[in-house]
Amino acid sequence: MKTIYNLVVKDIIRFLNDKPAVLLTFIVPMVLIVIFGSIFGGSGSPRGKVNIILVNESNTPVSRILEARLDSAKSLRIVKKYLPENGKDSLKFTETVAKEYVRTGKISAAVVMPEDFFTDTSAALKFKFYYDPKNEIESSIIQGQMQQTIMTQVPRLIPFLMQRRAIDFIGNDSTAMFAQSLGGILETYFDVPADSFVQSLTKIDTTELTQTVADDSSEENQMFGNFVKFESEQLVGKEVSNPGLTRSVGGWAIMFLLFSLTGAATSLFEEKQEGTLKRLLCMPVNRSQILWSKYIYTMSLGVVQLFVLFVFSWLFFGVDVFSNLPNLFVVVVASAAAAVSFGMLITSVAKTINQANGISTLVILVMSAVGGSWFPVTLFPDWMQAISKVTLTYWSVEAFLQVLWRQAPFTAIIPNVLILLTFAFLINAYALVRFKNGKVF
Amino acid sequence: MLKINHIEKTFDNLVALANVSLNIEKGEFFGLLGPNGAGKTTLMNIIIGYLQPDIGTITVDDEIIMYEDLEMRKKIGYVPQDISLYLELSAYQNLIIFGKLYGLGKNELESKIDEVLELVQLTDRKKDLVKEFSGGMKRRLNLAVSLLHDPQILLCDEPTVGVDPQSRNAIFDMLTKLNQKGKTILYTTHYMEEAERLCSRLAIIDHGKIITQGTLLDLINQLDQKETIKIQKTAHTKDKIDSINNLGHVTEYDFYYELLPKEENSQHSTIFKHFETLNIPSQFIEISRASLEDVFLNLTGRSLRD
Repeated sequence: MKTIYNLVVKDIIRFLNDKPAVLLTFIVPMVLIVIFGSIFGGSGSPRGKVNIILVNESNTPVSRILEARLDSAKSLRIVKKYLPENGKDSLKFTETVAKEYVRTGKISAAVVMPEDFFTDTSAALKFKFYYDPKNEIESSIIQGQMQQTIMTQVPRLIPFLMQRRAIDFIGNDSTAMFAQSLGGILETYFDVPADSFVQSLTKIDTTELTQTVADDSSEENQMFGNFVKFESEQLVGKEVSNPGLTRSVGGWAIMFLLFSLTGAATSLFEEKQEGTLKRLLCMPVNRSQILWSKYIYTMSLGVVQLFVLFVFSWLFFGVDVFSNLPNLFVVVVASAAAAVSFGMLITSVAKTINQANGISTLVILVMSAVGGSWFPVTLFPDWMQAISKVTLTYWSVEAFLQVLWRQAPFTAIIPNVLILLTFAFLINAYALVRFKNGKVF
Repeated sequence: MLKINHIEKTFDNLVALANVSLNIEKGEFFGLLGPNGAGKTTLMNIIIGYLQPDIGTITVDDEIIMYEDLEMRKKIGYVPQDISLYLELSAYQNLIIFGKLYGLGKNELESKIDEVLELVQLTDRKKDLVKEFSGGMKRRLNLAVSLLHDPQILLCDEPTVGVDPQSRNAIFDMLTKLNQKGKTILYTTHYMEEAERLCSRLAIIDHGKIITQGTLLDLINQLDQKETIKIQKTAHTKDKIDSINNLGHVTEYDFYYELLPKEENSQHSTIFKHFETLNIPSQFIEISRASLEDVFLNLTGRSLRD
């Protein structure tokens, strides 16, 4: 028994001395739990707010009330104004601008309450809904929240809308007669004042509309659906043959790219351990040449890896990788450059290969989770969305979405590509200086 | 040919080399002997331009070697202490990779590969993966890589560490052949037997300082006692050590006593007569010439293996 005890103690001591193993065993799960916990709250529903444009061109009491309800929706952040190019003052969104914002991927959806949203003769509320289902979860949240907000208010309008429908079918006079007769019956038998009843059919009580109604059953919703005209238009990705994979392939690609390229970059440690690095440095080869050769090799590996992955997705799942091939190539190269630089950064700050592996695994997993490889960043709390923008994963995932999902032109990916290349340039310059001065190896 | 001028190197607060100067002539087999941590490898690293000295210069044919001096590295072959090979590749692939980095053309490289493989006796194993080689074979290939570009100077940093006696002898033979063909060799070791066997001239380094240098004979002549007498530890000799002490300075080792006789007892006849009176049979006595170990002990008060 003592032998077993001693052997167990031996393993514990070895484990505690292996800092990367400790890091991976305890810190990584904790960090991931924080990330998952921030996305999915206690009830399992998303915590983050999804941005959505609201254009209210109607300016009726009903539209104003619905606008106020959407403003206070838990899962939506209503955006009503935008800053035009070269403009100082923000302007109210118009339907055209809103559509352009959705089409170019600046926002996922826009709801328009048009001028004829609810006119004097409307028998139904008319909405226009423009969306880009670049992410399934996000689309579900938007549509669900919209439906919930609108449907909880519509029942208050039912008598009024029914009256309008009746007028359409049987005319004004007959409808007024029917209402008066029905009011009389109600007053006689149910002690309900006839005037009050008639008023409920012909006038909207806006104070009632502001009161929340419990969730409606689906059957009721179906009935209410007749009073709501929802003109939905998917602006992006209609022709995409495999939307699910097309949306997510970029996120997974950059994550695996980071793992493989960081591994390749940190192979300098292996060369050091094997003694071959020193032999190279004793030959007519200088440190910068070694670093550059490693960079070029690793980057080429990354580019080939991504193209193999994309061609595989095309062959077996029909992901369209050829329609926007030049731009896809640009994003692949920029992403690979940034990923290799990340590996170089790890190599230049770590002191051993174990340390490099521990740090890189932690950072890659966190970057993948926060940067949008696993979930759309729009589901994150605001503070996490801010963090996501400092990860290279975010810029790469967004760029892949632009070229694969949106089939965007080169101009649309310029900011992403510039950020990825700037990251690559700065990190490489830092690693090169450290390596050249012999501070790394 | 290779001049090391007042080299100093410090790592943090540790003085690795202190005012080291050596002058190695063309075609010489020069040994640098010292215990582990004496500064031998640091000096090698500075000579090949892997490390920068704090002070001092190194010249090859009167040309100063600068840090990362790529042209100068073509004149020097370096055999590292560790096996510095791509183990997952074949011997031939290793030689191709390293040969190309030395700038050798295809035909020249092929002929050099054949030549060095023959020298290290690995021609029939050139297609085999290095990881399948024995320790001795890896060491030989390690040497072969350093010879591809036909360097004028060969730096060997303890090239026989962990090698079986047979392979060690093979490496000695190869190095001797190379030296005979005109290669200048700087050979570091902490084995005095290797230095004694191979080197025409040598220096002893300790704590980063060259404490002496010269031919083997020069160094031994520095000693008062040119001979040592070993007396085996047996039942016959154990209780007589006090009497032996009268003959000179006695050091006790695991299996024998080592006697450095006093000047007045340096005649063999005197010593043997004394042993005879003590009833110590002659088969327990061995007279040996003083070695580099004795030189090191004399200069530092420590054994090379301490």
